[in-house]
Amino acid sequence: MAAYIFRRLVSTIAVMAMVGIFVFLLLRLAPGDPAAMIAGRSATAEMIAGIHEKLGLNDPMPVQFIRWVRDMLAGDFGTSIFAGRPVLELISQRLEPTLSLSMLTMILSVTVGVSLGVLAAWRSGGLIDRLLTAFATIGYSVPVFVIGYFLIYFFAIRTHWLPVQGYKPIEFGLGPWLLHLVLPTVTLSLAYIAFIARISRASMLEVLSEDYMRTAAAKGVSSYAMLFHHALKNAGVPIVTVIGLSFAGLIGGVVITETVFNIPGVGRLVVDAINNRDYPIIQGVLILVSGLYVLINLAVDLSYTLVDPRIRY
Amino acid sequence: MTISRRELIKAGLAAGTAVSVPSVLRAQTASAGARMVRMVKQTDLRVFDPIWTATNITADHGLAIYDTLFSVDSKFMPQPQMIGEWGVSDDKKTYTFELRDGLAWHDGTPVTAADCVASIRRWGEVASGGQLMMERASDISKKDDKTFTIALKEPLGLLIDILADLTPPCLFIMREKDASRPATEQVTTNVGSGPFGFNEALAKPGASYAYDRNEKYVPRKEPSDGLAGGKIVKVDRIIWDVIADQQTAMAALQAGEVDYFELPPADLYSLIESDPDLGLQVLNKLGSDALVRLNFLQPPFNNVKARQAILHLIDQEAFMSIIAPNYGHPVTSIFGSDTLYSNDENTGWYKKGGDPERAKQLFQEAGYAGEKVVILQAMDWSPSKDGSQLLAAALRKIGVNTELAPSDWGGLTERRAKKDPVENGGWSMFITSESDYSLGNPFATPMLLANGDNAWYGWPKNEEYEALRAKWPNVATLEERKDLARKMQGIWWDFVGDVRLGKFVQPIAHRKTLTGLIGMPQLVPMWNMQKALA
Repeated sequence: MAAYIFRRLVSTIAVMAMVGIFVFLLLRLAPGDPAAMIAGRSATAEMIAGIHEKLGLNDPMPVQFIRWVRDMLAGDFGTSIFAGRPVLELISQRLEPTLSLSMLTMILSVTVGVSLGVLAAWRSGGLIDRLLTAFATIGYSVPVFVIGYFLIYFFAIRTHWLPVQGYKPIEFGLGPWLLHLVLPTVTLSLAYIAFIARISRASMLEVLSEDYMRTAAAKGVSSYAMLFHHALKNAGVPIVTVIGLSFAGLIGGVVITETVFNIPGVGRLVVDAINNRDYPIIQGVLILVSGLYVLINLAVDLSYTLVDPRIRY
Repeated sequence: MTISRRELIKAGLAAGTAVSVPSVLRAQTASAGARMVRMVKQTDLRVFDPIWTATNITADHGLAIYDTLFSVDSKFMPQPQMIGEWGVSDDKKTYTFELRDGLAWHDGTPVTAADCVASIRRWGEVASGGQLMMERASDISKKDDKTFTIALKEPLGLLIDILADLTPPCLFIMREKDASRPATEQVTTNVGSGPFGFNEALAKPGASYAYDRNEKYVPRKEPSDGLAGGKIVKVDRIIWDVIADQQTAMAALQAGEVDYFELPPADLYSLIESDPDLGLQVLNKLGSDALVRLNFLQPPFNNVKARQAILHLIDQEAFMSIIAPNYGHPVTSIFGSDTLYSNDENTGWYKKGGDPERAKQLFQEAGYAGEKVVILQAMDWSPSKDGSQLLAAALRKIGVNTELAPSDWGGLTERRAKKDPVENGGWSMFITSESDYSLGNPFATPMLLANGDNAWYGWPKNEEYEALRAKWPNVATLEERKDLARKMQGIWWDFVGDVRLGKFVQPIAHRKTLTGLIGMPQLVPMWNMQKALA
C-alpha cells in the first residue's frame, strides 16, 4: 500500500508539471493584455507600455516560465498583477467560503442522494422510484442559476427569510454562517443529489438482484439490515467513486453558484482573474486545484479498500 | 409513528420562530444600519493607487480617502479645496499656494507643502494635464511647511483648471513618502487626508471594502457644491460590496441588503421604476459619448471618403435605442453635448435616421473594392456587443464586406494595438466610449488627439487640427477657447477623427431611503449622502 501511495504521489508531480506548462502557455497564447486592463478603457499606448515594462511582461516567454517555476518551487506562487498581494494569500482568503459551500453541499448531497437511491431501488418501479426519476431528470437538467434565482426570489425577496447574497465567515458564529449558505447549498446540491441518487439506485438494483440477497430475504433478515448492511456495502464502490469525483469537481466548479450568491470563493477569484488576465492568480489556482483533484482521486482509490476488502494495492 | 395534534402545533410554532429569527435580527440592526451605507460599485476595486491606474473605481477610492488641492464645483469651475490662499505673479509665471488650516493625515500627522510638491510631481508623470504642466514648469518647490510654488517658463492660463481636473488620474495629495515613488510603482498604503479612512481590517479583496468617517477631517466652511465646498460625511461607514452578477445585485437592492447599485443594466430599469422603495437617478448628467474608432492606417478607412461614409451612415437614434433606451440622444459636437465647448460647427452631416445612400456613394468615391472591414466586438460590454452588430448590419446593407471579431474587452485591447492589415490580425473599427466631461477638455482626453502614431488607437492624423489644439492651453479666455473649439471641430468632422453613435447617461439605482447623492461626472463622492430608517 505504501509503495502504491508513493507511486501515485510521484505521478502527481508529473501531472502538475503538465498542467503547469499547459496553463502557462494557454494564458500567454490567449488574446488579452493585463496591462491594458489595469490602465483602463481610455488608456494610451504609452501608459500600457509602461505597465508592461514594470510587470516584466516584455520578457521572453521562456524567461517568464522559468521565473514562475523557480519561484513556485520556493513556495512563492507569485503576486497578483492587480491586487499586488501574494497569490497564496488571496487563495487562502477565498478557501473558507468555497470549502464551506463544498462540504455542506457534499454532506447534503450524499445524505439525501444515497438515501433516495436506496429507497428508489428498494421500491423499484413504484411511485417513489418514478418520483425520484422525475426529480433526477429535473435536478440534473435545470441550470444552477435558474434554481438559484428562483430560490432567491421566494426565500429572500418575497419572504425575507434568508439573505440574497454574501458570505459570513464561521468566526461570526454558526448561525450567520449557515444562514448565508442555505440557499447556495440547496441550489448546488440539487444536481448532485440527482446524480448520486441515480448512481446509488442503479448500483443497488444490481446488488439487490444477487442470489445472496434473495437468500438473506429467505432467511428473514430485516429490510433495513438487507439494504444497509448487505446491499449498500456491496454497492459502495461506484457510489464512493461518484462522491469523490463530485467533490473534486465541486472545488473547481462552484463558480456559478458563487457568482449568483456572491460568495467570495476560489471560483469567483479565478473568473475575475481570467477577465483581468491576472496570470499569477490563474496559474496558482489551477495548479492547486489540479493537485487537490489528484489527491482526492487518490483518497477515493484508497477508500475502496474500506468499502470492499477484496481490493488490495 | 404517529404525530399528535399538540406535537404538530409545537413543531409549527418552533418552525415559525426559527424562520422569523433572520427578520428579528434585521430589526435589531436597523438603527445601526441607518449609519451605514452599502454600495455596489460598477466593478471590483483591484488597484488602490489612483495615480498608478486611471480607472474610475480607483479614482472613487482616491476621492474618499485623499483630498485635492482644488475641486470643481457643479458648474465645473475650479474652487480651492485643501488650498486656503493662492495667488499668481504679475507675469503670470509663478503661482503661490498656501494650505488651509486643519489638514491632517489619517495617522494624525499634519499635511505639509512637501507632501503636495511630491504628489504633484508624481501625478505630473502620468496625467495628460499634469504632463503639460510639467513641460511648462521650471520649478515646483515648498517655501515653508504650508506654502509651495509652481514656477512656469511661460504662462499657462489653464493651470488651476488642470490642478482641479476630475479626469482620472486626478491630483490626489498623498504623503511625501508615498508620493516619492515613481508613478509606475503602486503605493501600498491607504493613508490619506480625505473625509474617509480606509478600513484595512475589514477589506476583503473581491468581496467588500469599508470606508469609515474620518472624525478628524475639517471640512471647508462653504456649502457642498459639486466636488467643491465642505465635504461633510453624514454616515459612520460606507461599505462597497463587490457583486459581480447584476441580477444578484438587483435582488440585494430589492431585499434592502444594499442601498446603491451603480450600474444597473438597462433591462432592469422598468423593474426598478415599478418598485416603490427604489429609484433611478442620473448622477453623471453629462454622460458619455459612444463612438467608433476607425483605423486610419489601413484600407478602407485610410481614405477620408470612406470615413465620411461612416459619418453619414450612422443612425444615432437606432444606436441609442439599443445602447441606452430612454437615456440616450444624438450628439454632433466632438466636445460632447452640454460641455463648455459643445458647438454646432460643420455638423451638416447629421441626418435623423442616417443617410445610407450618401454613405454608399461616398464608399464608391473612395474607390472601395470590397476590402474586408473587421469590427472588434467586445462581448462583455453591451455597447460594443450590441452596437457592433448594428454597425455590421448597416455596413452590409450598403454592400461593405464586414466581419465581426468577437472577444472579451481584454482581447479587444490587445488587438486594437496592432497596426497591421486585417489579414495579419489588424482591425478596421471598434466601438468605445468617453465621458463628455473628458471630451470637453482636448488636453485631458486622448480621444481628441490627431497626431498620427502618438494619437489614440486608430491613429488619426491631421496637422492643421493639431496646430489648433496646440494653442488650447495658451488661450486666455473662455470665449477665445470656445472660438478655437469651433475651428477644431470644423476640421475634425472634415477628416473624421472618429464617428459618434450618440450620447448616453447611465442612471444609478438606489433605495429611496438613501438621499444626498452628489451628481458629478466621472467620480462618485460619498460625503453628503445620508440614510433614513426604512
